[in-house]
Amino acid sequence: MLVGLAILLVLALLPLARPSTYFLGFMLILFMYAALASSWNILGGFTGYLSFGHAAFFGLGAYTTALLLFYLKWSPFWTMPLGGLVAAVFAALVGYPCLRLRGPYFSLVTLILTLAVSIIILNAPWTKGAFGMFLPFPPVDIFTNHVIFYEVMLALMVLAALVARQIERSKLGMGLAAIRENEDVAQTLGVNVTWLKMEVFLISAFLTGMIGGIYSYYISYLHPSFVFDTLISINIVLMALFGGRLTWLGPLLGASILSVVNEILTLQVEAQLARIVFGLLLIGVIIFLPDGIMAAAAPFIRRLLGQSRRRLRPSSG
Amino acid sequence: MLTVQNLNVFYGSLQALHDVSLEVREGEFVTLIGSNGAGKTTLLRTISGLLAPASGEITFRGERLNGLSTHDICERGLIQVPEGRELFPRMSVVDNLDIGAYPPPARRQRLQSREEVFRLLPRLEERRNQDAGTLSGGEQQMLAIGRALMARPSLLMLDEPSLGLAPILVKHIMEILQELNRQGLTILLVSQEVRLALSLADRAYVLENGRIIRSGTGRELLADTGIVSAYLGL
Repeated sequence: MLVGLAILLVLALLPLARPSTYFLGFMLILFMYAALASSWNILGGFTGYLSFGHAAFFGLGAYTTALLLFYLKWSPFWTMPLGGLVAAVFAALVGYPCLRLRGPYFSLVTLILTLAVSIIILNAPWTKGAFGMFLPFPPVDIFTNHVIFYEVMLALMVLAALVARQIERSKLGMGLAAIRENEDVAQTLGVNVTWLKMEVFLISAFLTGMIGGIYSYYISYLHPSFVFDTLISINIVLMALFGGRLTWLGPLLGASILSVVNEILTLQVEAQLARIVFGLLLIGVIIFLPDGIMAAAAPFIRRLLGQSRRRLRPSSG
Repeated sequence: MLTVQNLNVFYGSLQALHDVSLEVREGEFVTLIGSNGAGKTTLLRTISGLLAPASGEITFRGERLNGLSTHDICERGLIQVPEGRELFPRMSVVDNLDIGAYPPPARRQRLQSREEVFRLLPRLEERRNQDAGTLSGGEQQMLAIGRALMARPSLLMLDEPSLGLAPILVKHIMEILQELNRQGLTILLVSQEVRLALSLADRAYVLENGRIIRSGTGRELLADTGIVSAYLGL
């Protein structure tokens, strides 16, 4: 706990050391992915419903704040909850039929949904479609601009992580774990599976939409192919799975490690190779580390800290 | 307490239960026997709300259960121990028990229920922090029963709790059920251990090809040479 707060404090005060805008830009995208992976994990990790369509919520949030800024000059810093809301409403509409599907069927349908939403946005007249939308910058210099987005993304990451942590440790988290392990049995134990799945689907979509809402303001030029990108969905899934989807900490770890790996590969080698490595990683993680590096490292961490056994959820009794 | 009337259940176009009627009274130990594929599991799943009947009525303590969702039925104290135990193998014994106390009424008495379960099944306390998947078959069955008890059932339905267990463990499990019944818990037991199950039962039903073909006291059915030869091969 103290270690976490200390890391957080260092991260929050980091801009005081006047790092380069490149570094701030890299870090804020890392925070963004950590926030996205945490949000995704509330559904995908805790219930086992692997959504490959979180880019849809991300993109809807991005377009919501962008349109409000473009037409009404409303600042995304205030309208980002609306971005989350639009994503959550969309999740409510598609969640009812989709969450009845299990396993790969659910993943496939969510994957296709992103493509469908992307095409609608591309062809709608008021989104500037394929031309994309140029958004006004916040009226500050480029360094301050990066610092602002850096702090906001950091805050969103903390928010997503806290929500995930709270859910994991609550009665809700226990019900979700039961759904993940065996949905039929969960039902016979009195878990309202339909409502629980819907609840976390909405929470997950809301957080994802908020993050998208800030991202569009940051990149300041918005095109459907930037935000409704299947690659974003896949990256989110990979990061959460890689880090470990059973706990709230896993996705943060996964996003941090893979963001660094991706950056190094892209800069030092080439982007093509980074994609191939990521693909191989995804396969390797699913086969060899189904519970991620958190679960694989748990015995060592336990020995290190002298703690007792790993728990899927902390006991309260 | 539980009344099932003229229940018809289909899997697609295939009819699994034909006009099944059955009754379990407060405090009774009722056994349902029948060969593989007779529809025993289907009946329990329908009572639990996991399957929707095409027609017929299920009432529990005077309340109609048809159309209620599984978790609602659960909250009313009608708890099932599923076939094949269906534990959460990667969770500890204690976590498995705690999940059993998920319905809000049971949640408040979780710690007390756990004490009671440990008193009844001391083996579970010895293994409390072990993952459920590492328990022996008999211990797993005890855990499945313990998990169901955490929900504070008024009627406990068990689907083949003796499946795949050594004879001595089967006897032990049956003794536990008998003890629970003596403490006032109403029990509906589905079992292939015909002789043992019938000797424990106040009353019993025989299900064959989706129809109830016999019913009576456990003693009556045990004395019925037709039943004994059909299900025990004697």
